[in-house]
Amino acid sequence: MESEGAESSVPAPVEVFSSIRERTIAENSMVVLLQGLQGEVTTVDLRNESTARGRVISVDAFMNIRLADVLYRDRRDQLTRLQDLFVTGRNVRYVHIPDHVDIMKTIQNQLSKIHRVRNFASEGGGRKEFPKKTK
Amino acid sequence: VTGDRKTRICEVSLPQNSSLCRFGDVEDGKVWKGGEWYCLSSRSGLPGWHFIPLQQPTTNTVEEPLDLIRLSLDERIYVKMRNDRELRGRLHAYDQHLNMILGDVEETVTTVEIDEETYEELYKSTKRNIPMLFVRGDGVVLVAPPLRVG
Repeated sequence: MESEGAESSVPAPVEVFSSIRERTIAENSMVVLLQGLQGEVTTVDLRNESTARGRVISVDAFMNIRLADVLYRDRRDQLTRLQDLFVTGRNVRYVHIPDHVDIMKTIQNQLSKIHRVRNFASEGGGRKEFPKKTK
Repeated sequence: VTGDRKTRICEVSLPQNSSLCRFGDVEDGKVWKGGEWYCLSSRSGLPGWHFIPLQQPTTNTVEEPLDLIRLSLDERIYVKMRNDRELRGRLHAYDQHLNMILGDVEETVTTVEIDEETYEELYKSTKRNIPMLFVRGDGVVLVAPPLRVG
């Protein structure tokens, strides 16, 4: 269940709101790091020995990756320019992490985004149907 | 959360209502179900009480094979992958799928070429270096300390 911003000729990084199921899967695995790479230019090595270098638009809990302005190099080193590329999670072999990315900070930021969405309804009180129970 | 320790039924008593939920084994306000710890919370953004997954506490004992990988954190390791690939790098992070983050990696791809006339097998390996790499777990075959030379 993704809600995206306005479509433009060059897709900009969008705020992705996934389902609760996806968020739980993501927060318990390392995919959160890839989700934090949204907006960065990275190289993704695919399982079919080809590589795709482009800007990460979005990554979901299943490691499906959407890239923009992609330079796609196939196994025979043939280059192709693509405006938009969607890679299925199963087909990812490696993701190159840019040098300037702080891994711990990226993961923590991504996790706090997930927890913020989860606690959205309780911020500022929320539905106090049952008072907080102290054991 | 009331309930006997390690009983199968977790009885949740709420101020006005009282509902029984058969969830899992109860211990210290946490519930164990399906290989995961959950805790009862009303702050999940949804009405009522819900079980939300707890972060796994880090233990120092080796309990399962994944803990052996935990011992290699921040050390150099050797990873054998599918399609005749090997990685040697510093393990920064991993998860239950064996997705890994390796730093200063050297990837070795080994290919076999067969000479048409002599049917000789010629093993070629190509190496490349990558500063920081995220590896998807389904390609990993084994993880080991780096092989000692000599």
